Amino acid sequence: MRTEGKIISFFSPLLLLVLWELLARVGVVDIRLFSCPSRIMKTFVPVLLSGELLYHSWVSVRRILLGFAAGAIPGMLLGLSMGLVPLVRAALEPMVAATFPIPKLAIMPLILLVFGLGESSKIFTIAIGVFYLVLINTMAGVLSIDPIYLDVAKNYGASRWNFYRTVALPGALPMIFAGFKLGMGTALLLIVAAELTAAWAGVGYWIWRAYDMFDIERMFTALVMMSVLGYLLSYLLDFIERQVIPWKTPPAQ
Amino acid sequence: MSEINDAIILQGISKVFPSRHGPPIVALEDINLTVKEGEFLCIVGPSGCGKSTLLRILAGLEQPTTGEAIVTIKEEGKPVNSMVFQEQSLFPWYTVRENIAYGLTMRGISPQECQRITDHYLKITGLGKFARAYPHQLSGGMKQRASVARAFANDPSILLLDEPFGSLDEQTRVLLQQELLKIWEGTQKTTMFITHSIDEALGLGDRVLVMTARPGRVKEVLDINLPRPRDLTIIRSQPSFLDLFHTIWFSLREEVLKARNEEMG
Ligand SMILES: Nc1ncnc2c1ncn2[C@@H]1O[C@H](COP(=O)(O)OP(=O)(O)OP(=O)(O)O)[C@@H](O)[C@H]1O
Ligand SMILES: [Mg+2]
Repeated sequence: MRTEGKIISFFSPLLLLVLWELLARVGVVDIRLFSCPSRIMKTFVPVLLSGELLYHSWVSVRRILLGFAAGAIPGMLLGLSMGLVPLVRAALEPMVAATFPIPKLAIMPLILLVFGLGESSKIFTIAIGVFYLVLINTMAGVLSIDPIYLDVAKNYGASRWNFYRTVALPGALPMIFAGFKLGMGTALLLIVAAELTAAWAGVGYWIWRAYDMFDIERMFTALVMMSVLGYLLSYLLDFIERQVIPWKTPPAQ
Repeated sequence: MSEINDAIILQGISKVFPSRHGPPIVALEDINLTVKEGEFLCIVGPSGCGKSTLLRILAGLEQPTTGEAIVTIKEEGKPVNSMVFQEQSLFPWYTVRENIAYGLTMRGISPQECQRITDHYLKITGLGKFARAYPHQLSGGMKQRASVARAFANDPSILLLDEPFGSLDEQTRVLLQQELLKIWEGTQKTTMFITHSIDEALGLGDRVLVMTARPGRVKEVLDINLPRPRDLTIIRSQPSFLDLFHTIWFSLREEVLKARNEEMG
C-alpha cells in the first residue's frame, strides 16, 4: 500500500505533463497561451545555466527571508504578550481585528509612498502579510495552552520572563509554526505583487517582464522556479520545526 | 509539648464559584483549621467537596471568597510550597529530567546542584532510564511519579499533594508511599495530602481531616496515634488502625451518600 502510494505520487504529475504535451501537439491546448513542457524546458535550461534565473530568484528569496523575519519576529512577540496578558490583548485585539482584513495589496501604493521604490518597500509588504498570520496564530496558540501549566509555573515560582520562556513559547510553538507556514505561503504570493511595480529584479519582475514581451515560455520558467522555491522554503520550515519541537515527534533513533 | 509552631492557619475560608447556569457553587464553607509545623495531614471527603480547591487556595492559585489562609512557616532559601496536581501537569515540551528540575531551575539553583538533586529523585522514583524521555512517552503511573519527584526535588517548606498516587497500581503505590514516609520522616516537612483511600490516609498521616459533602466543611479531624516510623504492611493489623478505619469509613459513607442524593436532585 505504502509503496503503491509512492509510485502513484511519482507518476501522476509525470502523466499530467505527458498529457499536456500531447494535447498541445494535437492542438487541443493553445500553445500560444499555455505553451507545452518541451518548449518550457527548452527555455528553462539556458536561463538556468546562464545564472540569470538564479540571480532573480536570489533577489526574491532575499526579500522573502528578510520580510519574513521582519514580520514573524514582532508577530510572535506580540502574539505571546497578547496571549499571556489579558490587558495587552484587550488593548490590541480591536486594532488587529480592524486592520487584519485589509488586503495587503490594497496598501501597496501607500507602502511605496512611505518606503520609496527601494528594497524596503518590498520587504515591508511581505513583512506586513507575515506579521498578522504569525501574530494571530501565536496568540491562539498561547490561549489554547492548558491553564494547568500556568498554575505549575506560578506554583514553582516562575518569573514573568520564565512564563514566556518555559510555558507560553513552547506551548504555542506548534501553532506558531502553523502561522509560519501560512505566512510563507502569503510571502510567495506577495513577492510577485510587490515586484510588479518599481522593481528591477526578482522572480515577480521576471514574470511581468515576460508578460510585457508576451514570452509565455519565459513566464513559465519563473513559475517552475517559484514552485521549486516554495517547496524548498516549506521544506526548510518543516526541518526547523522538527528540530525545535522534539517533543512532537520522538527524536530519531 | 506545645512548643511546635503552627505552619498553616485557615480562618473562616469559604469559596464560591460563579456559575453561568444556575446558582453559584459554594465549594468551601467556613473552613477553620490549623496545621502544625512538620505535621502530615490527610484530607478525605466525597468527590467535589472542595479538597482540590482548598489546596489551590493554599498554593496561592485561587483566592478565598472569605477568610484567610495564613502560612506562618518561613524557611530561609526554601520555596513556601510545592504542589502535586491531581491532573496530568508535566510540561509536554520538557523531558522528564527537565520537568523534575523545573522548580530548581526557576529558583536559579546552579546546574551542578540541579543535576545532583534531580538524579537523586530520578533514582528514587525509578525513572532513571526515562530521564530523557518526554511525558507522552511515559505511562500514567510514571507521569505521576515524575510529578511527585518534581515537588520533592523543589524541597519546599510545605508539600501539597492532591491524590498523587491516584492512578498507580497497588505495588507502585505502596512503594511510593513508603518512599514518601521515608522522606517525610527524614525531613519532617509539613504535608497536606488529599486521598480517597482511608488506608492511605491512616498509613501516612498524623491527622485525618474528613470533609462534608459540598459545600465542603470540616466534618471532623481525627488523630492517628499510630507509632512511627511506620511499616505500612504491619500497621494494618493494629487494633487502633481498624478502629480508626471504621470511624472514618462510616463518617465518609454518610457524606458520600449525601453528595449522591444531592446529585440525583
Ligand atoms: N474554577 C472553577 N470554576 C467553577 N467551579 C469550580 C472550579 N473549580 C472547582 N469548582 C467546583 O467546586 C467544587 C469543588 O471542586 P474540587 O475540585 O475542589 O473538588 P474535589 O474535592 O477536589 O473533588 P475530587 O475528589 O473529585 O477531585 C466542584 O463542585 C467543582 O465543580
Ligand atoms: Mg480534587
